Amino acid sequence: MLAFDRVSKVYDTFASGSRYALRDVTFATSMGRTIAIVGRSGSGKSTLLHLAAGIDVPTTGSVGLFGRPLERESETARTRLRRDAVGLVFQFFYLLPHLSLHDNVALPALIAGERGAAVDARIRQLLARVGLEDRARDPVQHLSGGEMQRVAIARALLRRPRLLLADEPTGNLDDANGRAVMDLLLALVAEEGTTLLYVTHSREFAALADETWEIHSGVLDTG
Amino acid sequence: MIRYLVRVVAANLRRAPSLYLLTIVGVALGVASVLTVQILNQSALAAFTGSVQAVSGEADLSVLGRTPTLPDSLYPAVLADPDVAGAWALSRTSVTLADRPDYFLDAVGVDFFAPIRIPFVTSRTGGPAVGATLANPAAVLATPGWTAVSPELATELDLAVGDTFTVTSGVRRARLKVGALVDFRRLTPLAGTRLIVLDLAQAQALLGEPGRIHQIDVRAVAGTELDALAGRLRETLGPGVDVLSPEQRTQRAEGLLAAFRLNLTALSLISVFVGLFLVYSATQASLVRRRAEFGLLRSLGATPRQVFAVIAVEVALLGALGVALGLPLGYWAARVNVEVVSATLTNLYLLDAIERLYVPRALFALAAAIGIGGAVAGALLPALDMSRRDTKTLLAAFTLHERLGSAALPLAGSGAALLAATGLWYVVGGHDWRGAGFVLAIALLAALPLGTPLLVQRLAALVRITDFGWRYSLRSLGVRLQTTAFAIAALGIAVSMLVGITLMIGSFRRTLEVWVNSSLRADVYITTPSWRGRSTEATLDSALAAALAALPGVRAVDRLRGFPGYTGERRIALAGVEMGIPYDDSHLPLLAGERTSALAAVHERGAVLISEPLARKTGLGLGDSLPLSVPTGERRFVVAGVYYDYSSEGGTVILSLPTLNAAFGAGPVNSIALYLAPGADAEATVDAIRARYPDTPLLLRSNRTLRAEVFTIFEQTFAITRMLQGMALLIAVTGITLTLLVLAHERLSELALYRALGAGTRQVFGIFVAEGIGMGALGLVLGGAGGMLLAAILILVINRAYFGWTIQVSVPLAALAWQAASLLAAAVAASLYPAFRASRTTAAELARDDV
Repeated sequence: MLAFDRVSKVYDTFASGSRYALRDVTFATSMGRTIAIVGRSGSGKSTLLHLAAGIDVPTTGSVGLFGRPLERESETARTRLRRDAVGLVFQFFYLLPHLSLHDNVALPALIAGERGAAVDARIRQLLARVGLEDRARDPVQHLSGGEMQRVAIARALLRRPRLLLADEPTGNLDDANGRAVMDLLLALVAEEGTTLLYVTHSREFAALADETWEIHSGVLDTG
Repeated sequence: MIRYLVRVVAANLRRAPSLYLLTIVGVALGVASVLTVQILNQSALAAFTGSVQAVSGEADLSVLGRTPTLPDSLYPAVLADPDVAGAWALSRTSVTLADRPDYFLDAVGVDFFAPIRIPFVTSRTGGPAVGATLANPAAVLATPGWTAVSPELATELDLAVGDTFTVTSGVRRARLKVGALVDFRRLTPLAGTRLIVLDLAQAQALLGEPGRIHQIDVRAVAGTELDALAGRLRETLGPGVDVLSPEQRTQRAEGLLAAFRLNLTALSLISVFVGLFLVYSATQASLVRRRAEFGLLRSLGATPRQVFAVIAVEVALLGALGVALGLPLGYWAARVNVEVVSATLTNLYLLDAIERLYVPRALFALAAAIGIGGAVAGALLPALDMSRRDTKTLLAAFTLHERLGSAALPLAGSGAALLAATGLWYVVGGHDWRGAGFVLAIALLAALPLGTPLLVQRLAALVRITDFGWRYSLRSLGVRLQTTAFAIAALGIAVSMLVGITLMIGSFRRTLEVWVNSSLRADVYITTPSWRGRSTEATLDSALAAALAALPGVRAVDRLRGFPGYTGERRIALAGVEMGIPYDDSHLPLLAGERTSALAAVHERGAVLISEPLARKTGLGLGDSLPLSVPTGERRFVVAGVYYDYSSEGGTVILSLPTLNAAFGAGPVNSIALYLAPGADAEATVDAIRARYPDTPLLLRSNRTLRAEVFTIFEQTFAITRMLQGMALLIAVTGITLTLLVLAHERLSELALYRALGAGTRQVFGIFVAEGIGMGALGLVLGGAGGMLLAAILILVINRAYFGWTIQVSVPLAALAWQAASLLAAAVAASLYPAFRASRTTAAELARDDV
């Protein structure tokens, strides 16, 4: 499903020259697994997710997604692949303040040009699943942090992605909300049969995954 | 601080040159609009002043006729006054070159024995002045057609001393001989180059009328009280004269041009107003980019006031650069338009043509004040907004600040209240004031931007998002009102101006078409080339007029004699008409009075018809009596009707030819109009007359040609207006580009999110282009409504107050549709660059701080 083969990512920085964000990372995931990646700030977690989502390409090595080497795909092809098969959850939720809950969740379908009763039904289903069906037309600005992340999860799952990438999904939440969100996220990917790769600082939340990998200074330890 | 500013400006100029450039362009276009209009206004006055100073620069007073000419017998009476140190009579005749009928010269007849200094020069390049007077005036008198011409004219016509050239005055041709060069610019830099000087007696004999002069210039004894002398001369010379100082003559010209100048100035100020919005957008664009920089300054201890000062000084610097660009641009635009404005001056106001541009230094100060002041004023709101934001917000990567959203309703309410209050004021009593129309227009243009946020907010809210395309874009416009509403308001104002003026010009044109169809009924119009220069001496001789009337195929003839006159202190055009067709056949359109009986009163009982502008300005109507200055004093004429007339804003009066001759003395006619028998061809008749009188300077026009000329003059009159419209629109459309650039930057995280969720570059590009079109469309909606109201104010209030014309409202649908399509196309073009920039946003922008 997702495979990194000796992937390195180097950034050229003005202050200190070249810097490795990832160094010789190799791993492979299989369908329906949940994997947590733990590491400190700046260890390369987000870079890994960007490469996995096709947002960026490796400096060396190969990233295979559903059998397609992303570094050989055009930017447009990678975008389409991400749109159709990958869901993203962010630490800061990235909900659009001018849209309602419903429209925020609908955004991936709008971008993909999907519309109609089936989409609406799916949105209602997901909002019900995250416990916000009564507030579908509310503006997102009035939601709590935990509620916002639940909306973001619903958005990520709208188009039934085969791979869900979550970047510190609980990083901006208190412990209780963080736990609730993690439980929901894991339950939903289990229901949907989606592979989940998430990065976190929290050992406790990492332990909820099928596998826990560690990353230090760009080097991944899949243990 | 200055070093910091210079470095910041230089760094940002390298980083985002387009934003700075657009600010500079916005200021430059605003400055150029004002400067163009002011240069043309000043040049129009300078042309008149230059003519006065060149000919009468040494005079303390000028005796001028309130009738076309004065008898030269008045001259001894002037000299007889003990306070008159010297006086000299002058004749002024507008003549044309025989081989270039559209090239006018101002022939001045002077007495070379009089104590007048004429700046003769020895060569085309100037050379030393020969002296105050000619060495041998008697020799001049002995040379038939002796004429002094300016070095510039000699160069242009390739003339040297001793050469001859032929001019026409009416149907007369006069062969003039260049006897000397005269450079009036030695006396005044404003002097025109087309002044030629002849001996007075020769000028009268060759070009004018023996025994008749146009003015007497007077030099007073030192220490004389000029007002007292003027009053005494007025009393001595009788009621047919005015005695004025050169300053008073210039003031009269200023009065004549006041409405024309005021309207152009108002239009140019609209461009500045629109320019303020552009500066707002540009400043906002620049500040949004630099939010983090200001956050850093604040976190390092800079106060809001210091941040504000940094921004204000920076914008003032950009304003100064805009002024530097606007000055040559304004001058260039004035040069491009000088010909058409000059034509308007001569056609509508009977004033001197503008030969060259006059740019007083004060205009540069005005341009600088408008440019720099306007830039700072335009930047005020974004600068205050940025300086007052808290440090945390400034340093945040993604913010949505929408104070304008909650203020939309109160703002719209205050706009509506402003309109209601102004409307009430106008209805209750304001309509009595001449400038009331401008107050209404200003209130309208102020209310439009106040209502824009609510309009955008409400319309955007109506849109239901069903796709990631048009609907999504339109909905987005309502979200960032602080950015989008300003651009839409600026566009709305520019479109209001465009629509308002297009409606006004379209209505005026349609009205003129109807009027021309009614007024120009003859088949062939015959006059002389110098009549176009409004020369009183541009006459047809009686025998020729009779011969033309007797041509085969001519069934009737109208004869017209015209010259300027006065009613009270108002300068008007008088027309003595002898009608060749029955009153019933006339189609003269009357505003008041019944046509047949009115014409009968004019032709049988000595009554007059007055034009609509004159009726509005004097308050005279049917049955009132109109006072006219005649050589013997003042005579009153009963007003038998008020006719629609669009040939002069000063006012015109129609009398019967016998009435005119009886009041002012007999004289030849200036033009005749031929009515041909059914089946006769007008163009063939014109050709036949031309062939029959090959050496007679005649200006022959068929009905069709004359109509075409009328509309050429019409288009000339509004050419400058169209240019100002264009400038305002250009500024507004540039505002769309700026606004979208602001949005592209403000929404960086949002765009990155779209990309992360799978939106392609084309989709983001499309979203931005759609937003540009959305802004264009909303600007059209707003401007369409505003333009209709503005047109109503222009047509029904301002036009009537200043020009006195009735304009029938007509909607030029084709022109408006074309403009709407062009505007939307311009909006698309304006969106392309920002859309391209936005489409290059990558999903990685979402988390670049984490990298």
